[in-house]
Amino acid sequence: MRKIRSHLTSLFFAVISIIYVSPIFIVLMNSFKRRTAISSEPFKLPNAESFISLGNYITGMTFGNYPFYKSVLYSFIITIASALLILICTSMCAWFIVRVDNKICKIFYYLCIFSMIVPFQMVMYTLSKTADSLSLNTPFTIPIIYLGFGAGLAVFMFVGFVKSIPLSMEESASIDGCGPMRTFFEVILPIMKPTLISVGILQIMWIWNDYLLPYLVLDIKKYRTIPIHIQYLNGSYGQTDIGAIMALIVLSIIPIIIFYFTSQKYIIKGIIAGSVKG
Amino acid sequence: MKRLLSRWFPIFFLPTALSFIIGFLYPFISGIYLSFCSFITTSDATFIGIENYKAVFSDPSFLYSFLFTIAFALVSVVLINLIAFMIAYALTSGIRGANLFRTVFFMPNLIGGIVLGYIWQLIFDGILSRYGTSISLNPTYGFWGLIILMCWQQIGYMMIIYIAGLQSVPEDIYEAARIDGAGKWQILKKVTVPMVMPSITICTFLTLTNSFKLFDQNLSLTAGQPGTVGAGGRTVYLTEMLALNIYNTFYRNNNTRGIGQAKAVIFFLIVTVIALSQLYFTRRKEVQQ
Amino acid sequence: MKKTTSLIIVMLLSIGIFSSCRRQQQTAAGSVYYLNFKPEQDAAWQELAREYTEETGVQVTVLTASEGNYEATLTSEIGKNDPPTLFQVNGPVGLQNWKNYCYDLSSSAVYSELTDKNFALTENNMVYGIAYVIETYGIIYNKTLLNKYFASTFSTIKSVDEINGFDSFATVVREIQANKESLGVSGAFTSAGMDSSSDWRFKTHLANMPIYYEYKDENITSTSAIKGTYLDNYKQIWDLYIENATVPKTAIATKTATDAQTEFKTGRAVFYQNGTWEYSNCKFDPASGEGLLDAEFGMLPIYIGAPGEENQGLCTGSENYWCVNKNASPEDIEATLQFINWVVTSDTGTESLAEDMNFVSPFKNAESADNPLVDIANEYIEDGKISVSWNFSTIPSDAWKNGVGTALTQYAAGSGSWESVRKAFVEGWASEYAAANR
Repeated sequence: MRKIRSHLTSLFFAVISIIYVSPIFIVLMNSFKRRTAISSEPFKLPNAESFISLGNYITGMTFGNYPFYKSVLYSFIITIASALLILICTSMCAWFIVRVDNKICKIFYYLCIFSMIVPFQMVMYTLSKTADSLSLNTPFTIPIIYLGFGAGLAVFMFVGFVKSIPLSMEESASIDGCGPMRTFFEVILPIMKPTLISVGILQIMWIWNDYLLPYLVLDIKKYRTIPIHIQYLNGSYGQTDIGAIMALIVLSIIPIIIFYFTSQKYIIKGIIAGSVKG
Repeated sequence: MKRLLSRWFPIFFLPTALSFIIGFLYPFISGIYLSFCSFITTSDATFIGIENYKAVFSDPSFLYSFLFTIAFALVSVVLINLIAFMIAYALTSGIRGANLFRTVFFMPNLIGGIVLGYIWQLIFDGILSRYGTSISLNPTYGFWGLIILMCWQQIGYMMIIYIAGLQSVPEDIYEAARIDGAGKWQILKKVTVPMVMPSITICTFLTLTNSFKLFDQNLSLTAGQPGTVGAGGRTVYLTEMLALNIYNTFYRNNNTRGIGQAKAVIFFLIVTVIALSQLYFTRRKEVQQ
Repeated sequence: MKKTTSLIIVMLLSIGIFSSCRRQQQTAAGSVYYLNFKPEQDAAWQELAREYTEETGVQVTVLTASEGNYEATLTSEIGKNDPPTLFQVNGPVGLQNWKNYCYDLSSSAVYSELTDKNFALTENNMVYGIAYVIETYGIIYNKTLLNKYFASTFSTIKSVDEINGFDSFATVVREIQANKESLGVSGAFTSAGMDSSSDWRFKTHLANMPIYYEYKDENITSTSAIKGTYLDNYKQIWDLYIENATVPKTAIATKTATDAQTEFKTGRAVFYQNGTWEYSNCKFDPASGEGLLDAEFGMLPIYIGAPGEENQGLCTGSENYWCVNKNASPEDIEATLQFINWVVTSDTGTESLAEDMNFVSPFKNAESADNPLVDIANEYIEDGKISVSWNFSTIPSDAWKNGVGTALTQYAAGSGSWESVRKAFVEGWASEYAAANR
């Protein structure tokens, strides 16, 4: 009886899953279709007439005067550097906030929460000016902006999880003569692994797909990211090459899917490691 | 330990705090200053006092989009959290293919908001056009369209947080509950939910603020349509949420950037009150470890 | 250890500040930074910039704002350390935002190159902007299909010369619509799409007609309050568009520019309200086998049933004006003025404007653009027809256009009344004007 029920649940989820991914499938399917066929019959599979094989991909990648490979490169640099910076700095900061717990920490923590509430539109112009005057407008320096702007969510999540770590573990480490650095990196960080990965995924998703912030902050004469590149496929007077856009969306999803699938393994590992602490 | 650690603040605390000041606090405070100014760019601002705020309160579209956003946030917070929790619960109770399903449910997050809006517009209109209508013609369809889109995108995200929360509940607590003769439902109610309260806090907070800040999806799915022409021939858009309303105000004419900024400040204050009271109430329910 | 680490962090953060100081010193020779508006001309501008740098050694950077983001991009870029030296505004209303940033061009060489000084944006004897492209719109038609109609038995009108007002035009449209199967089309008009990629054709370009006639009656060039004298005519032409199209009028809310373009290109519709810029999108493309041959393009004035419209020509004007950034360094301003003067006078520049960008530009040395729709527009002027000016650039705000557009959509879908369009048009104008000029 239990087995049947479990199978039924699986079946139920399988059906839901198919419905769930179908929009992504629609994008994939349409990326191989002529752009006129996309708007007129979005749900149809490509047929002999509408199929243009890799045409959209070629258009998308060779479009304009900015080389696509550079956008890809900068997207990778910005995403990886920013995510790493955010993970290391904010996890340390969160631990500090929870354990030191003085007035400044409390104020900072509430400021972080505030920052998640503020709409980007409110700070966009002042942010772009600040970033420009501090030269934080290159792929190598923009991670500082992302750390500042993404700190809210990350600190908030880390603080939530650090609070659930029993103090006894750190105390025993400090009795063993570990300084804060060693305690953090050898005791705290391994426990936080599942959270690190969850926060990491969320930050990477955000930064990888982010459009308006890099568009306004980066020196876009020199540096572009994939979302900016995609936005440039929108021409004026309705000259939108929807086919090429679909193709580039597919391309931009691939690295993230690969990343997600590989990090999944670590989530499971992390959970096992984490559950030992009990 | 506390004392020792606090001396390490330049390493643990300062990098994040400094970046936060550069990337958020300073732009935010100058943003508040700008709401009292008339400006085109940030460098040509002239102080005009509370004129902008007066203009906000005489704008009927702001009140409308505020109410619309509240309704939207309520429905989406409840739906997303319920469904995400149920999925996370099911996926952690050892069903077949849990890994695959988890991946699938998370996948909508892989696509950026603007694109998601366009895809769903294709789908909704593909269906609605058979009945001679469209999502941009009926505010009820627009509302539920946004809800479906929001659920579709956010459930996977919240599910991840719930899974992390559920997995971190120590097995021995369940064991103890079972030995005490607790049934499945009772364990869920008395053990699981209180233990994952931190996750619930985080997820409610995130869905709440995400719903309030929703912009890209709103812009690309309905763009605020349809509208009705109100007093003074000004159009109130019936599916326009707060962030979009603010954004549209920015470019309305050469006087309105300050008004947009003032709206953003008011918006911020409202969300702060709502979000902090939510945090206060859910945090109270968290189990002290 | 602690001190070293904190020192490193402080140093890292200050590198940024130092490097920004360093950057400001390098612009001694003068350079040009053009923030371009039209994405479809980006490649041509990049090429032109490269050639200019090769020829003169002056650095020219061209950045195109992504679609729909020009104001946001300009706002952000102009506040930076290295702001655009050349940008654009869309007319007298758009100028109000940027007036304080505009260098007075009255003594510039490029101003003296204008064929008609009306193509400059002037206020109090200051020249703030110079139009660099003149465009024309009307009702583009497919000659082959229209001739098929003239030759058919059911047509009461037998030649294009007989179409000289709303009534005769409406007759043609209705007869085509009634006999669409025998003509092999899906409708007389392409879909009047109200998606944001296409709605400007009606909320802005078509709305220009009632505004134009009202201004003409009142003998004014702008107004704080429009009366809406010609709103019935606006309704008349809008009804004609939506009732005689390839799709039912309830379906236009989500139709896009690409939809209408495809319908016209593939011969499924006879009439298509659009402009000279649309030629390159609709011309015959050997790769797909779609599109119209040059000889198949025709263009009619938009007749709305106003008095004296038999002499009305096409709608001609500009919504693209160059402005030079007053706050740039004197060297950069000088370099920019020289660059635009080179663009409108040199062979390389004028060729690029005419051939690569397909622009009709209002400068003395301009070459004629390779575009049959432009030739048609010139014929109307030679025939003594009176061009309709682009008065939509005096519309008080974008919010007005959006309000009218939304009301038009709902009127078409049956969920709104014409009264809403009237309110958005007349009352909306007054309140938007008041809001923009407080």
